[in-house]
Amino acid sequence: MTPVHFSFTSAFILGLMGLAFHRTHLLSALLCLEGMMLSLFIALSLCALQMKATGYSVAPMLLLAFSACEASAGLALLVATARTHGTDHLQSLNLLQC
Amino acid sequence: MHPTTLILSSSLLMIFALLIYPLITTLTPTLQHENWALTHVKTAIKMAFLVSLLPLFIFLDQGTETIVTNWQWMNTTTFDINLSFKFDHYSIIFTPIALYVTWSILEFASWYMHADPNMNRFFKYLLLFLIAMVILVTANNMFQLFIGWEGVGIMSFLLIGWWHGRADANTAAMQAVIYNRVGDIGLILSMAWFATNLNSWEIQQMFASSKELDLTLPLMGLILAATGKSAQFGLHPWLPSAMEGPTPVSALLHSSTMVVAGIFLLIRLHPLMENNQTALTTCLCLGALTTLFTATCALTQNDIKKIVAFSTSSQLGLMMVTIGLNQPQLAFLHICTHAFFKAMLFLCSGSIIHSLNDEQDIRKMGGMYNLTPFTSSCLTIGSLALTGTPFLAGFFSKDAIIEALNTSHLNAWALTLTLLATSFTAIYSLRVIFFVSMGHPRFTPMTPINENNSSVINPIKRLAWGSIVAGLLITSNFLPSNTPVMTMPTHLKLAALLVTILGLIIALELASLTSKQFKTTPNLITHNFSNMLGFFPAIIHRLAPKLNLTLGQAIASQMVDQTWFEKVGPKGVISIHLPMVTTTSNIQQGMIKTYLTLFFLSTTLAVLLTLT
Repeated sequence: MTPVHFSFTSAFILGLMGLAFHRTHLLSALLCLEGMMLSLFIALSLCALQMKATGYSVAPMLLLAFSACEASAGLALLVATARTHGTDHLQSLNLLQC
Repeated sequence: MHPTTLILSSSLLMIFALLIYPLITTLTPTLQHENWALTHVKTAIKMAFLVSLLPLFIFLDQGTETIVTNWQWMNTTTFDINLSFKFDHYSIIFTPIALYVTWSILEFASWYMHADPNMNRFFKYLLLFLIAMVILVTANNMFQLFIGWEGVGIMSFLLIGWWHGRADANTAAMQAVIYNRVGDIGLILSMAWFATNLNSWEIQQMFASSKELDLTLPLMGLILAATGKSAQFGLHPWLPSAMEGPTPVSALLHSSTMVVAGIFLLIRLHPLMENNQTALTTCLCLGALTTLFTATCALTQNDIKKIVAFSTSSQLGLMMVTIGLNQPQLAFLHICTHAFFKAMLFLCSGSIIHSLNDEQDIRKMGGMYNLTPFTSSCLTIGSLALTGTPFLAGFFSKDAIIEALNTSHLNAWALTLTLLATSFTAIYSLRVIFFVSMGHPRFTPMTPINENNSSVINPIKRLAWGSIVAGLLITSNFLPSNTPVMTMPTHLKLAALLVTILGLIIALELASLTSKQFKTTPNLITHNFSNMLGFFPAIIHRLAPKLNLTLGQAIASQMVDQTWFEKVGPKGVISIHLPMVTTTSNIQQGMIKTYLTLFFLSTTLAVLLTLT
């Protein structure tokens, strides 16, 4: 595995762990999600460059656009949570548990 | 074109023009003058009668019949409907008779209805009815006949309910329409069968192309139509209820013209029936049952118009029996003679009713022989003609029918019932004459008894002449198409007369009992059965609607609401899905961190397993 390959793989896995094991704030989960998206962006761009597959050159732009949408959706959810629950603390999201 | 046929066709179409002209004068927005009824309608019908005598005499002299096809109405590749008039011997004879009787009735109605503010409208309805009736009898195809058929049905409804402020009159009109509608189902069934199997509604084509086919279904439909229109048993209650209408209406519609429309249909289409034994037997038994049942009901009625109505129904049953004997010409002869004396009976009843200040109960009449001698004499003439007194009008038709019945190898039960009904005819006729004209008056003294008006006397006189000579005239001028049996044992030949005389004697004996009282509490079972019309209206008019309405309620509430909507349809779907939805949402506990941790751990595990 090349160093670049290792770096964005580990960035992705670290971001995934941060998403899975977040403790207090929903915002941190969203930030980790953004990190995952960023690593995927780097992976796609390098894939298109190294394998000389110019057909895939547009894919990173698409990924960026979709991740922007997804980030805005996540932020809207955050704001909604803040409106209904007062905070974005994750303890208060367990109200469905009986 | 030969002058004879030209005269025949043009005079017959002239009749229509004369009858339609007064109606056209009412289409203008201006109100007609008060005497419009007399100056326009009665004159038109008198003219039409005189014009119709021309084809009658041409037919008597030369035997010409004609079919006039005027106008192509709806013509497709496979089916034609034309405006076509058939003037064969049935319609050539019937039209003058109908016009003669209508002329007399209209003249009488100008006296009977003179106090009515809507007399013009009354005459207009009668004229519309007559036009529909003439369309019916001269129709050469089933579509035109259906137009006439429905026309007479609707005019009957309007005329029975003439005094529409009276609830009984409205009920009677509804009854007439509903019973006629049931009969119409049969007619439409037959028409549909003819259209699909014989490809035409023209009578000639129907006769020609139906030789090999099994015609039981359309014939049953036609018999159902005749049952509805001519008040045979099963669909008969509307006829006595129709006496709620004014007496001229009863005289015209429900004695001479409209109720014979059903029999006329069967006579017209008789060539289809003559080989079908099922249809003939049905007619025979139905007619015999009708004639006996209605004669039984007539025995204990107390309303003079109802007695005459049941008498009409009984004679219609007799006509149906004749058709069942394969003798359409005798049935037609009876239609023609019956028109005269029955209309006269109704007109005499109307004269007596008005004279006694609108009293219709025969128990409150009496002694009219001295007070209205002309009317009671004509009542007697009419009753004698009805019972078949030798050589009056009714004798030629009724006696011929009973002779044919006696000498045919058919149902003896039908024969017995018919003979019994003939004796009952004598009984109730005597009852009418006994209660109305004999004995002492049983009404209050201040009654406007006056029969000196010429518009009362002349119609009744004309119809009396008709009741006396019509039978002789018609039989001596027309050849029968079936040879009648001329020789038979004496007791069969005299059967009708003997049975009638027997009935007369019994009735005289019963009448003499009215002044003696043998039992203070008589046994009333048979009297109740007869007086309540066999309980037929009491049962059917309540039970059948109640069953239908409960069925409708069961369908609407149980089937649709409870079953389809709640168990099977939308609410049923809800009741199945709701537990599933509840279970699913109960599982979701919202422990996001746990879910994501598990996701991460399972991803790691999967990666490790695939790499090693």
